[in-house]
Amino acid sequence: MAEQDIVNLVNGVFMESFEIPGEKLVPEAKIFTDLGLDSLDIVDLVVALQKKFGVTMRDDERVRAIRTLEDIYNFIQILKQENRK
Amino acid sequence: MRRVAITGIGAVSPLGNTVSAMISGIERRECATEYIPDWQRYKGLRCLVAAPVQMQDEKLIPRHNRRSMGRLSIFSVQATDQALLDSGIDRRHLSGGRLGCVIGSTMGSAESIAEAFETLIPNNDLSQMTSTKFFQCISHTAAMNVAQYLGITGRVMATCAACASAIQAIGAGYDLVRMGEQDIMLCGGAEGLHPTVVGSFDILFATSTGYNQTPKKTPRPFDAKRDGLVCGEGGGMVVLEEYESAKARKAHIYAEIIGYNTCGNGSHVSESNREAIVFCMQEALKSAGITPDQVDYINAHATATIQGDKEEAAAVREVFGDHVPISSLKGYMGHTLGASGAIELIASLIMMRKNVIYPTLNLDEPDAACQGIFHVTQPMDKKIDVILKNCFAFGGINSALVCRRAD
Repeated sequence: MAEQDIVNLVNGVFMESFEIPGEKLVPEAKIFTDLGLDSLDIVDLVVALQKKFGVTMRDDERVRAIRTLEDIYNFIQILKQENRK
Repeated sequence: MRRVAITGIGAVSPLGNTVSAMISGIERRECATEYIPDWQRYKGLRCLVAAPVQMQDEKLIPRHNRRSMGRLSIFSVQATDQALLDSGIDRRHLSGGRLGCVIGSTMGSAESIAEAFETLIPNNDLSQMTSTKFFQCISHTAAMNVAQYLGITGRVMATCAACASAIQAIGAGYDLVRMGEQDIMLCGGAEGLHPTVVGSFDILFATSTGYNQTPKKTPRPFDAKRDGLVCGEGGGMVVLEEYESAKARKAHIYAEIIGYNTCGNGSHVSESNREAIVFCMQEALKSAGITPDQVDYINAHATATIQGDKEEAAAVREVFGDHVPISSLKGYMGHTLGASGAIELIASLIMMRKNVIYPTLNLDEPDAACQGIFHVTQPMDKKIDVILKNCFAFGGINSALVCRRAD
């Protein structure tokens, strides 16, 4: 999956599920402080991303290190690569 | 005991999403029942009519509040906003600990409960379940969502007694204010329409099934050709306030609550029972300190089921004879279940203010078993000082509320 496709799909989740305007979705945006998500939203974010990308991340410890949108793009990329192996 | 005033009203109904829209619909003698073609896909569901709400403006509720709301909670929030604005209550009271809310419904959001099981059951897989589904499904979803939305820090409770939920909620709020436990209570009920809800009545042969092609002719409370109830949805909320403080701040007082009762029939989960209804109404009158001849109008529960209407009519005949005008509003809006007590009380308060009784819609020929009471079949001018509102529920739960014009 091309990098830009991942960005578009992840941003789509933020726009659809969390009603965040597209212009706020810059790679360095912090998920909690800049985009306003909270602990409940993170559960739903994981559910939505799993569905969108066909990956499993709910019990993945690396999720805890995610801070920014870019961290999500990169994490999805890694999961996709791991899935291919 | 302190006196309790109703100082604000708000409603989201099948006839419109405000009290004025609802009243306009009633005054136009409009029936909100519609044919729901999509329900044909449910094998065994015979009732294909309902009275849905056209949801509006839900996105005005902030997402972080809205995410835990199913339809009934959205209706509750919208009705509460209307009622609070109408009451003119200073919003600083919301977080003062002396203002609470009690909101009833049959259950949590039926739509959300169905979605939760549809997510879980096919693969026995919880990993696709969203975090807020639980908050949409729980029994106190309407009360807790309204409380979170408004930042209420007083009592927050739910009365889950099916179709008696709203009157029980208002009764509970009345008790809390008159006993001095709270000063202001936001009370009412809500319900969301879903085929599983209709199905629960349909399998008991309690729904209207003969008017799928002529939906505006059903439900028909007390009528000889009634064939069951039509499910509706919506939310109704009233603001209850300690009477003297309401007067002191020159609030508009719709009415004073002067009596209330709720009780079990102790006999059957689904069959109404005349004796139990008689007892419930008499106890409500006794708590109000009035006699039956002092009641000017009875807003009936009458949902248009064969058995329920007959028992209510018999009970009213026994207590009031044919002296007190009675009408049911189900012909306009269907049975809004957990919301019905509040929505129909609100319409009754408007009748009191306008000194007019809205007739029972679709009552063309009273059933022989429902005669001997004072049916109102045309708009009737009458000074209304005292209202009795009945609500009866599956599970054998009865409730009745008595309101008097403010002095």
